[in-house]
Amino acid sequence: MAAPCRRMASRSLLQIVSSFSRTAVGNSGFRLFSNTSVCRAIVQTRFVPERASSPWTLKAAVCLQRLPVISADCAPIEQQFKEMMHQMELEKSVLSDHELRLLEDAERMSRKRADDYDSDEEDNHRDQDIMLAQDLEDIWEQRMKNFQPELRVKADVDKDLTSLQRCLADSLILLAEQQVGGEKLWLLPQAQWQEGETLQQTAERALASLPAAGFKATFLGNAPCGVYKYKLPKAARTESVVGTKVFFFKAILSDKGPPAATNASFMWLKRSELQRYLKPAYMMKVERFILGL
Amino acid sequence: MNPVFRKVSVTQQALVLNQALTLCRATPSIQHPVWASVNERQYKTMPTHGIGRWKHLLPKEVPKKKKDTTQKKQIIAATDTAYGTLNVKVSGYDMTLVEHYSQYIHNLCNRLGIKVAECYALPTKTTEVMLMQEQGTKMYVDATLKTHERVVQLSSLNASLCPVFMDVLLNNQPEGVQLSVKEHTEADFQARFKGRPELEGLIAQMNQ
Repeated sequence: MAAPCRRMASRSLLQIVSSFSRTAVGNSGFRLFSNTSVCRAIVQTRFVPERASSPWTLKAAVCLQRLPVISADCAPIEQQFKEMMHQMELEKSVLSDHELRLLEDAERMSRKRADDYDSDEEDNHRDQDIMLAQDLEDIWEQRMKNFQPELRVKADVDKDLTSLQRCLADSLILLAEQQVGGEKLWLLPQAQWQEGETLQQTAERALASLPAAGFKATFLGNAPCGVYKYKLPKAARTESVVGTKVFFFKAILSDKGPPAATNASFMWLKRSELQRYLKPAYMMKVERFILGL
Repeated sequence: MNPVFRKVSVTQQALVLNQALTLCRATPSIQHPVWASVNERQYKTMPTHGIGRWKHLLPKEVPKKKKDTTQKKQIIAATDTAYGTLNVKVSGYDMTLVEHYSQYIHNLCNRLGIKVAECYALPTKTTEVMLMQEQGTKMYVDATLKTHERVVQLSSLNASLCPVFMDVLLNNQPEGVQLSVKEHTEADFQARFKGRPELEGLIAQMNQ
């Protein structure tokens, strides 16, 4: 592991300026990301003439996450607590400006209807006579009725594993079906490390080389978050190659890209569903860094 | 009987302790003039002298300085393995959400061992939403929105801890709250202070 580590230490750190915003009116439910690297340091590739070749092949994989779009539903106890706190705050609170205006208007109306009403005694409330606070409330109610919110959970979209709109309350991980040593396996998209590039660039390449490409992602950091070691079966071992080491990098999906043809080579899965598709040893290492929030 | 007892108590006080105490308590009013004439502070020799003293047992406290202005902290530069001074800015329309989220970030940093340099709030910005009237060209005020901002300044963040930290932050971000992570610059620090128009006017006059 000598070479890549040394390279990572010698390059000066990427200054990432990133801002994430979560607004209700997003572009099809994605968080707006703006990522400008202030000074992206060029990787200083020191030419090392003699390097002990390690018997492990290196690969970098990317753990692409789609963050939850809406907040999760409350558990029953959370719901009860929320209602209780709301009631307590309501009872302790003071009347707001709008409510005071409502009371004043009602009072003035009742005074006008009284027989001994003298309009000269009244303070100057011309504007408020034209548009009463009650009228404003009625207008707002009307607007609220015209607004149709979307459904929070759509059962049929949830079942489609390749759709990005499924399970809006959870974070989803991208899984791709790749050929590894003669078998087709479901795993996090990975690519082989090549000379002269950093592991993070390898991970970016892995993401870009997916057949259903077009995902724009922001990598969360330069350091990997997990590693998986895999020794080849004794028959396949040669002198130079004992096995593979896969380094995982975390990334957040920032833009969907054009809709690709529906070929079932990738899936978006929740953390609980990952177990059905990944091999057990692989799953053990992967679930250590996927947050179960 | 009394005068006899009184003389006994005054002279033999040091020796006959218990008796003296009970005698003193029994006749308090009579003893004052006697003691005033005897120019001695008799009670300092009593073994229970200073029995209620406790302030001398506390550690010595340095008196706090009254002036607590925002001291200019050193801006730490980035190294190979760690980011420098970072500003995590949380902004949104709902004050409770923004406050609670910034408190959550602060507590998370304390737990993870990330050093928090400062935690401050930027002034609230009020935005007035004006809509055009349906019949007519006049705009009328529809709503006023207030944008609140809180900043948590981290002094250094390890590069290996960064993806984990950012992941937790993003997964827990509430709706309607914007999160932004930037490096801290001199301009950011100066932006917190109020402008001084007279000073700037005088400087401009001097430079002319």
